[in-house]
Amino acid sequence: MEILRVENLTFYYPNAENPAVDGITLSVNSGEFIVVCGESGCGKTTLLKLMKKELSPVGKKSGSIYYNGILQENLDLKTSASEIGYVMQNPDSQTVTDKVWHELAFGLENLGVPSDIIRRKVGDMASYFGIQNWFRKNTSELSGGQKQLLNLASVMVMQPKILILDEPTSRLDPIASSDFTATLQKLNRELGLTIILVEHNLEEVFALADKVLLMDKGKALFFDRPENIADIKTEHPLLLGLPSAVRIYNALDIKDDCPLTVREGKDFLERHFKPKDEILPEYVHSETISVELKNVWFRYEKDLPDILRGTSLKVYSGEFYCILGGNGAGKTTALNVISGLDKAYRGKVLINGRQIKEYKGNSLYRHLLAFLPQDPQTVFIKDSVKGDLTEILEAMEIPKRIREEKISAIAEKTGIVHLLSKHPYDLSGGEQQKCALAKILLSEPKILLLDEPTKGLDACYKQVLKEILSKLKQEGITIITVTHDLEFAAENADRCALFFDGEILSADIPEKFFSENSFYTTHANRMARGLWKYAVTVGQVVMKAKEN
Amino acid sequence: MKNYNPFVLMFYFLAVVIISAFSENPVLQISALLGGILFCAIVTKSSETAGNIGFYVPMFFIIAVTNPLFSHNGATPLFFLNGNPVTLEAFVYGGAIAVMAIGVMLWCKCYSEIMTTDKFLYIFGKTVPKLSLVLSMALKFIPMYKQQTRRVSRAQKAMGLYSSKSVTDKIRSHARVFMAMVSWSLENSIETSSSMKARGYGLKGRTNFALFKFGADDLILLAVIVILLGVTVFGIITGETRFYYYPRISTLKFSAAYIAFGFFSLLPFIIEAKEAIKWRYYVSKI
Repeated sequence: MEILRVENLTFYYPNAENPAVDGITLSVNSGEFIVVCGESGCGKTTLLKLMKKELSPVGKKSGSIYYNGILQENLDLKTSASEIGYVMQNPDSQTVTDKVWHELAFGLENLGVPSDIIRRKVGDMASYFGIQNWFRKNTSELSGGQKQLLNLASVMVMQPKILILDEPTSRLDPIASSDFTATLQKLNRELGLTIILVEHNLEEVFALADKVLLMDKGKALFFDRPENIADIKTEHPLLLGLPSAVRIYNALDIKDDCPLTVREGKDFLERHFKPKDEILPEYVHSETISVELKNVWFRYEKDLPDILRGTSLKVYSGEFYCILGGNGAGKTTALNVISGLDKAYRGKVLINGRQIKEYKGNSLYRHLLAFLPQDPQTVFIKDSVKGDLTEILEAMEIPKRIREEKISAIAEKTGIVHLLSKHPYDLSGGEQQKCALAKILLSEPKILLLDEPTKGLDACYKQVLKEILSKLKQEGITIITVTHDLEFAAENADRCALFFDGEILSADIPEKFFSENSFYTTHANRMARGLWKYAVTVGQVVMKAKEN
Repeated sequence: MKNYNPFVLMFYFLAVVIISAFSENPVLQISALLGGILFCAIVTKSSETAGNIGFYVPMFFIIAVTNPLFSHNGATPLFFLNGNPVTLEAFVYGGAIAVMAIGVMLWCKCYSEIMTTDKFLYIFGKTVPKLSLVLSMALKFIPMYKQQTRRVSRAQKAMGLYSSKSVTDKIRSHARVFMAMVSWSLENSIETSSSMKARGYGLKGRTNFALFKFGADDLILLAVIVILLGVTVFGIITGETRFYYYPRISTLKFSAAYIAFGFFSLLPFIIEAKEAIKWRYYVSKI
């Protein structure tokens, strides 16, 4: 049964020349799982907001939206609030109250449901989502994953018929994000809930979807079953976001069914190719050491357990070094210690051969070391990107006449020329990341520390970031990255290391590192490891297949 | 005790504190102090006990001694200090003030342990619903704001911006972070308000949900409180408990109010002790 119909929907923001949503027509049946994807700024969020009456943006709208056959404009307010659920991106800002139980009850309170019934419904929902153990906690004490689960539960408690989610997992780590996706799948399977999900990371959700909507510049490029995606044979940057199996299939041009999951991809490769032994490439690195940790111990407070327990690492000059590891393992702490934000209570931290405490005042952060935190928003202070860039040059005491020159050079390099006059908070996640990178690069660092640089970025921005970072590497900058993104590490790193139990365990080139791990490895390697052991990226698998 | 309905608890706390603060009767005050000590001993952690004794005992003597040094009323001079009489009545009155003050302080301490913010908000919410939502939102916002401030100032520090130890740099850095936090807060509140709208905030007939119920236990406790309080207040109104220190200390007459208030101020201790014994008994049976 059709639950939602969008007919020829076009939408212009005030004073905008181009439509944000351009003539979209689609129909969603009850119980379907729809995945929406597309580049940042392609109009996904606008389309989703238009579907939810309360959140419709201001602007010029034509076309119509029907919910259960009723035109949206005629929809009863109570029905609209309870039957169309909407979950947003940021886990923090969409939480309203201070207590978990109050958050769950909030929607029902608004609908005017009596207390006894609220009590029952909240209890029902909390048990279903496994919230009972933190039911009486403060919302501020929850982890990101728990917060987002709470946001989902507090929408679900109103018993919606459609659930719309706008990049709900983009701020979560991979484990929390796959838990969240599993919950969505459960809701869809067990309750027959209709789900419309916007997602960047398609690796997992792609195979779950009944239909995929691919958007580009406000238009629907593709709206069909996921296995038919191979029919669009364009060189679109969007295709970089597809699951590894689909990308390998697309690049190979073999007549067969399109594989969607790792299992199907593995079958597909093994059907068409033969295994071959390989020699591991030799790793050549510079002999100078940029950053060295020698038996470093750290804890946040005297009574708390140690986070770093005798961590040692060596990063050579000009190297791209990736630290991988589970959540809360202390990877970020290790980075904080290298950046001088946290001080180790035992052990040595050497930057360019000198102990970190010998760098007095700001000397560590001038022409030497720069740190990009996980949330790029925290880097901005001024009300325009240009203001922020100028500020750091002022602090570096660069004469006025050279400033303009420096700013345009860095803007050129990071591709932010068109963003200079904007307010940093008006930018998308990817744009913020680029501008933040530009700001910290102005201090002309030799060592760059990045904390989760790909979090929340779509495939196109990841590509852009990759290009910027490889430019920096060519200039001889040492890059140390903490990341959860195995694909990103495999494609970019010179060496990868696993952080576990307060220590850095093994540092090796990605080919060796990933091929020796059985779980902690890329999707491409999981598919191809039976054939070509050392193929860890999609590109390498495709290359091997073509040689074969 | 903490599992009773917040309204009952609030009523009880107010009654104890008002009676012990405004009646000048030593028996009532001493029983309030004793009840307070016993209640505190149960409510606070045992590791804090030494610290509490170290604070309240000297406090008691300081308050007790201050009165006779400054007040020279009373008919029975004990000795003269700088030509001023130090009287027995002033000494005793000082002691009585100290008993009252420490008693009230201890009850307030128990209050803050038992009446957590959610209980307070519940009482508030029943009377002024809008305000309670605002308070709840504020309580959610404050820790988030603090955390973000910390993140921003660390990010700024790692860029080497105004991070030197000089006072001007420190002030400038705080001011900059504050300005950024203002825009962050605005941005954040826009999203919060969409999330509220999406969940139907603003529809007519909003209800108020709370975890607290008013059960049979609460009714029994309330009945006991009302009866004991009634007897006590009756004694106070009829003047049976009237007591004065100046010019001469008056004598005490027997009143049923003393027994009633004695039980009244020991109520939390009795309840807790009963539960503890029951618990022991059950554990021993397991």
